[in-house]
Amino acid sequence: MNTKLRKSIFYWVLLLPLAVVNIFPFAVMFVTAVRPRDELFVYPPTWGFSEFRWENFSEMWVKTNFGGALMNSLYVSITATALALLLAIPSAYAMSRYRFAGKGAYRIFLLMTQMMSPIVLVLGLFRLMMTLGLVNDLNSLVITYAAFNLAFTIWMLQSYFNSIPRDLEEAAWMDGASHLTSLVRIFLPLAVPAMVVTAIFTFINSWNEFVLALTMMRSSNDFTLPVQIYAQVAGRYQVEWHHVMAGTVLATVPVAIVFSWLQRYLIRGMALGAVK
Amino acid sequence: MTAPKAGAWGKMANRIQKSVPMLMILPSLLLAVLIIGYPILDLAWTSSQEVSRFGKLIGFIGWGNFAEVFADPLFWESLSRTGIWTLAVVAGTLVISMPVAMILNDDFYGRGVARVIVMLPWAISLTMTAVVWRWALNGRSGLLNATLMQAGIIDQPIEWLATAGTAFIVEILVGILVSIPFTTTILLGGLSSMPQDAYEAAVVDGATGWHQFRYITLPLMKPFINIAIVLNVIYVFNSLPIIWVMTEGGPANGTDILVTYLYKLAFRFGQLGKAAAISLVMFGVLLIFTILYVALISRNDADDAAPEAEVDDEH
Repeated sequence: MNTKLRKSIFYWVLLLPLAVVNIFPFAVMFVTAVRPRDELFVYPPTWGFSEFRWENFSEMWVKTNFGGALMNSLYVSITATALALLLAIPSAYAMSRYRFAGKGAYRIFLLMTQMMSPIVLVLGLFRLMMTLGLVNDLNSLVITYAAFNLAFTIWMLQSYFNSIPRDLEEAAWMDGASHLTSLVRIFLPLAVPAMVVTAIFTFINSWNEFVLALTMMRSSNDFTLPVQIYAQVAGRYQVEWHHVMAGTVLATVPVAIVFSWLQRYLIRGMALGAVK
Repeated sequence: MTAPKAGAWGKMANRIQKSVPMLMILPSLLLAVLIIGYPILDLAWTSSQEVSRFGKLIGFIGWGNFAEVFADPLFWESLSRTGIWTLAVVAGTLVISMPVAMILNDDFYGRGVARVIVMLPWAISLTMTAVVWRWALNGRSGLLNATLMQAGIIDQPIEWLATAGTAFIVEILVGILVSIPFTTTILLGGLSSMPQDAYEAAVVDGATGWHQFRYITLPLMKPFINIAIVLNVIYVFNSLPIIWVMTEGGPANGTDILVTYLYKLAFRFGQLGKAAAISLVMFGVLLIFTILYVALISRNDADDAAPEAEVDDEH
């Protein structure tokens, strides 16, 4: 047996417990989502079940107002991402291309905002939204999510902007283009891939956020997906677990696939902000 | 840019030129100050106010709310549980992530698949993970009981979440599980930047695997381990969804940590003053860790610039 094969077997044996525990929740999710309702609470508990009931998904969609929550989540995540990018692009450009007084201080300030978790500020934020009349308004989530994602978005963009050579813009200035023209015609098109990746991560962060959505949204019509699914579980005597798991599958799997695919880019954003 | 020399026009052009980057960061600065800065001031104000039974602020009472918080046994219990929760999750995560990162950094069959599997928990939100585990741990028909019973390990289902003791342990384990991907990623970043010649020299000198790890890997990884610890402390200390979704701090406040207790005070019992006071205490702790973190990364930056300087900082 060659050494690489032996090493591989050894490593897989070591990784096996972690792999099992990581896959376990996904198995629970799928197996429960397609189970007939009367096979949820059987004794003794078992993994087996009699038939795949795909109708669980369509029933769940209607019963839990999944579509409404999906639209709320989409609205909040897309708008918050757009707002965060709109504010972050000029900031990241300034951080990448200019030296100016207070640049270091701004970097530290962003770092501080990154470390502040919504939960510590949640009471102050709730009172702020009361003052602004935005409680029960999805836009309260839009502006808070944009704000909490700013630091990450700016770092991520800045790290890409740094990798776009200055010469390209300088060449354009030589040819008589104004700074604005060179920015719009030359720089931004080059930065599109970076902006797309950054946008996807901001989107996922907003999509997954729980505490603020739980706090600001008081009527069930305004719930985003995580809160909607939580509401099917919390404080209920009879939980329809097959519906809850069907909802969880629909709400997480598409996002999880995109995330797994793009995860290696995430490290770049962390690299500049966190691990230098 | 070749700025025109002297003259009022030159000065003005210069001033405009200088304010351009400021104007570019201004919008993001304003939003961050409104959403992240202002609430801190509001919390400070709220914490100094007496609150009526209906959650209305009715007047200044100075440190009264803090005094009430510090006299509250539930605060101290939540605080000590926060300490255990943070310490256990961060330590457990690190102990598992280090070997996992070292394995993933090596070349073996199926490494790509292994990476995806290790990173899986990162792809789902904490809320959803906690919802799934709440069902998986169901005391009668949960699939964890099903697994253990079908494997013949237990013959009675276990009520995992019904008593605070087991519930808290299970929550810590789930906390470790979801923190592994991020930590492994940071450690992998460190391992992949490790100089290969140090190992070759060590092998020539006859160093065994353990000695290589103890005297080469660990010291070189120290900055990355430090950063992983500080960031994890900050995240775990603040983390609400796992405990909130799985037990809401219950049964009988038995799994409450500061964030869940604070959330209940603020949004269930209307004790805004006390909740604000606890928020400020947490803000203080976070501030300390953030400063520690800033110090760590600026030291790493400095080390990058002058690698020789690292030698005396071991002692």
